[in-house]
Amino acid sequence: MEKITISNLKKTYGTIAAVDGLTLEIPSGSVFGLLGPNGAGKTTTFKCMLGLARPTSGTVLYDGAALAPATLERIAYVPERNVLYDWMSVAEHVEMNRRAYASFDPARAFELLQAFSVDRRRRVGALSKGMRTAVMVALAFAQNAEVLVLDEPTSGLDPVNQRHVLSLMINEAAKGNSVVFSSHQIGQVERAAEQIAVIDGGKLVLQGSVDDLKGDRKIVEGVFPDVTYGLDGLAGNPRVARVDRTERIVRILVTGGADEIAARLAAAGATGVRVLDLNLEDIFLYAVSPGTATTDIVVKEPTA
Amino acid sequence: MNYVEWLRIRNYLRIVAIILGILVVLAIVLRVSFARYMSPDAWIGHMHTSKTVVTHVMLPDGTKRTILDNAADRTHVVIDDRGYAGKHIVVTEPTSRAHEDNSNVNFGSVAVHEIHHGAVTVTTIDTNGAVPMLYYMALADFVALIVATILAAALAREINGHLEISLTKPCPRARFALGVIAVDAAGILAASLMTIVAFYLCQLLFESARLDFSGINARAIAIGVVVPLAWYAMLLAATTWLYRAYGAVLGFAWPVVILLGILTAIQPTNAVALFVHDVAWTLSRLDPLSYVSFASPAYNGAMGDAGSSDFGLRFAIEVLLFVVYGALAVWQWRRVEA
Repeated sequence: MEKITISNLKKTYGTIAAVDGLTLEIPSGSVFGLLGPNGAGKTTTFKCMLGLARPTSGTVLYDGAALAPATLERIAYVPERNVLYDWMSVAEHVEMNRRAYASFDPARAFELLQAFSVDRRRRVGALSKGMRTAVMVALAFAQNAEVLVLDEPTSGLDPVNQRHVLSLMINEAAKGNSVVFSSHQIGQVERAAEQIAVIDGGKLVLQGSVDDLKGDRKIVEGVFPDVTYGLDGLAGNPRVARVDRTERIVRILVTGGADEIAARLAAAGATGVRVLDLNLEDIFLYAVSPGTATTDIVVKEPTA
Repeated sequence: MNYVEWLRIRNYLRIVAIILGILVVLAIVLRVSFARYMSPDAWIGHMHTSKTVVTHVMLPDGTKRTILDNAADRTHVVIDDRGYAGKHIVVTEPTSRAHEDNSNVNFGSVAVHEIHHGAVTVTTIDTNGAVPMLYYMALADFVALIVATILAAALAREINGHLEISLTKPCPRARFALGVIAVDAAGILAASLMTIVAFYLCQLLFESARLDFSGINARAIAIGVVVPLAWYAMLLAATTWLYRAYGAVLGFAWPVVILLGILTAIQPTNAVALFVHDVAWTLSRLDPLSYVSFASPAYNGAMGDAGSSDFGLRFAIEVLLFVVYGALAVWQWRRVEA
């Protein structure tokens, strides 16, 4: 499968838009992280991708074709919540998937379950939350799918197994498959994902490769001697993405050309001007938390 | 694709098998406990008085004949004991008033034929007649309807907790739902069959049971097969549409149909009662059970509804209800979203 194209996807429940005009392109052979705060629309997006929810408008295309039952043979899914059958054993779940998917490899599933220390003979109802997640992950990765949609696949897992899941994801991408996943643990996304999209309120707020986003964005921080200071010349500057002020300290998120902004801060009287790199968590937080828009920068004249 | 439903049915049938197994064991205990009462010798002693002459004769075919003759009472009893093959008993006794009449009463394998001729009554009892399949089907349907009620939430259970599994299988939704219905139908019929086999085994413990498949019994089998399926389909449609409250639907299904049955049966005595009766009757038309009657040919040879002239219509309605309710369930299944 070459790519997944989500175009202008919208899904409303009553008057609430869970996903609102989302457009994404997910290439094959990559790990794609979908980030967003709670209720941002990540799970709904996944459900629309898998046909579990019908889009109100917009399309999801796999290599240019709409989802069909046969397409699901090539898609593996780990849902956010436990959907396994409590009364069935782990081995029976493996058998269930063996019968459902032609490409499912039960030996691989048992191998993965062993790696996660899950006893195949146990009833799912007797497993811990983390172990149930491990079962769902093992079933998905044993499917030999071309697309893996993983909704918080490390939820409840211990750090060792979390790392194992990330390795599995990277391996799948290396084999040319597409891995789309969501997680609230940004560190994991930073470690595994090559590309990310951040959605908030059902809308896309940021998208790009992790390296580009990190390389392109800097924080210029300056400390002013007084609480009243001017930022003349920054308003409307296209490089200034947002400004956060905390009394004497100002932090400016800059996309490209950080040196120029640093120079302006110094000229405005700031001392200790620094240009800081961002990690993915910073980028995510800046994307989804409200800040001062560049047009709202309050420019005050320096006091004499 | 419907492996989960197979497992579910396997579990329910295992429970049915255990219950029926207990029943067979109880029958074995009963058979062993009452073994000595199976021979007429055990109870003849309690019947006759000192004036009764008892004669034992062994017939050429191995039949053990016992003749009780009481000249004082003008009572004559002939008991032909064929052992496992049953008994043929003829009782000749005086009657209190002279009249001409005869009657038949059948229950299970026992047939009682009574002739009043003048001042004498001759009663013939045969204990090894063919058992009408009607009885077996009534028992089988009782079990099948319980199993059908339990299975009828199949799609609702998927909607409530496992949609992410069932709808992401590479299978069209309608085919998945039809597969579930087919598997459940097989399970319901298997429960029926298991019940028939268990009760047949119980009967075999006491006599060489012969089954009567003819006439009304053939029709009873046809109705007996389709009724639990129509009942299942009705509840499946209801639970699939009201999936959040499927437990309540299943819990209230029996009380509601019983109430409708009572309201339909009561003869109205005033306008309000007539209105209630008519509403209940109309609603009961939606219930597959309302087209069934367990009336049997046991009493004076009266034919039950299963053998009545509108059997074809009733059977067709049951099949139609199964198809319509099944289609409603599949339609809703195709609409659901996770």
